[in-house]
Amino acid sequence: MTAGPTQPIPLPRRPAKPAASLTSMLIVPSLIGALVALALGIYGRVHSPTGIAINIAGFSSPGTVKSWLATGATLFAIVQVVSALVMYGKIPRVTAPDWIGALHRWSGRIAFLLAVPVAIHCLYALGFQQYSTRVLLHSVFGCLFFGAFTVKMLILPKRDLPGWVLPVVGAMVFTLLVVIWLTSAYWFFSTFGIKR
Amino acid sequence: MKRNTPLITLLVGAALGVVLLISNMLATPSGKPVSYSAAAASAASVPATAAAPSSPAPAVTESSPAPATSSAAPAESSEAPGQSPAESSPAVSQPASAPSPKPTRTTPTRATYTARVGGGGGSVAVAVHGSKAIAYVCNGSSVEGWMRGKVENGKLTLTGKNNAHLTATYHAGKVSGDVEAHGTDYSFSAPTASKSSGLYEATVSVQGKTIKAGWIVLGDGTQLGSLEPNAESGEDAVTAPKLDLATMTARLGNLVLHAVPVDGVTGSGF
Repeated sequence: MTAGPTQPIPLPRRPAKPAASLTSMLIVPSLIGALVALALGIYGRVHSPTGIAINIAGFSSPGTVKSWLATGATLFAIVQVVSALVMYGKIPRVTAPDWIGALHRWSGRIAFLLAVPVAIHCLYALGFQQYSTRVLLHSVFGCLFFGAFTVKMLILPKRDLPGWVLPVVGAMVFTLLVVIWLTSAYWFFSTFGIKR
Repeated sequence: MKRNTPLITLLVGAALGVVLLISNMLATPSGKPVSYSAAAASAASVPATAAAPSSPAPAVTESSPAPATSSAAPAESSEAPGQSPAESSPAVSQPASAPSPKPTRTTPTRATYTARVGGGGGSVAVAVHGSKAIAYVCNGSSVEGWMRGKVENGKLTLTGKNNAHLTATYHAGKVSGDVEAHGTDYSFSAPTASKSSGLYEATVSVQGKTIKAGWIVLGDGTQLGSLEPNAESGEDAVTAPKLDLATMTARLGNLVLHAVPVDGVTGSGF
């Protein structure tokens, strides 16, 4: 049974055979996510970096702006993991309060929106680069992050996923974000000191 | 929650991205780029302490690139005037009258010129953007100098630190004249830069010192670059690490210098 795999958000009826539709439920979002990652990478590679972009007032340099935004996103991402663990009942002796879902959704939204300006600055001013391991990893994982996030958002509304799918994809998104934070903001702060 | 909220999240993020990208595009290619001091971009330095006052307003072009003479200004605003009152004042006073290229002029008012200097011991690059000009001369080692100045009636008069100066005239698509830096005098006649040639600069502040590098790339691909290890002190320049034009970066030990073009056509670096 295929519940409309070509639509971005298929709303499958209860399938007779969940296993059969699993592929179709995952494959289209995964392809879209892959395309997102690929598009970002290609843009970053083809567009010749300007070296400059709009800056945000109040910070001493774009590097610091980006580092703080990325750090903010990562902190909200940690909230994501903790709230997810609570929702799934993985933390002993903690019962999920009824606001945990809202906390999870909003922390995720905020984290994502914080990450977007950082990515745009990266893509526009710096581009996809590979002059060091750190930079190469950051470029690759930066693209993959937005792909993975897209996948997560697209499969989220699907009702008949096996239980492991969301935690696995969520963990993937989180891991990618942590890697891009380590290869950028962490590197920045440890190299130049923590400053505004 | 409604089922499609994740999609909304995604679309809102994408829309935000597109808006930011477009505003960047609108802001940068015009003659008034939002150039915060070059490399500060990503090599990511700028001492928070010193730069704080000047940087929140990086949208205001004028302060930032100011080669050599006034590179001191963004980092240590107090030092600039005392150090080189003569040349920093023109740099500071010029913002008022950038545009207004006279329609009668035959030579482009927005162009970059590069050439070897007479004798071949070095290269010179002159970027003219409206009535402003930035020039750099270097021999790939200690003889080098950044200069800024004005264009009036087809004549360029530029000055820089340590008595560096350049006088030149427009003639038949070329800029010809004399330049002196680090006590060395050169004459030159430079044609407009081709696509691959040009002038590039990178500025980065590390531990209170401003490192400023400049590269001149000629049409045949020859690259000459010098690096001021401490731009404010006037310490002698050294050979700059090779600039990778594909990535616009150069590596100085563990430090990555991010270069930006100083381009009279786009106004980048002005």
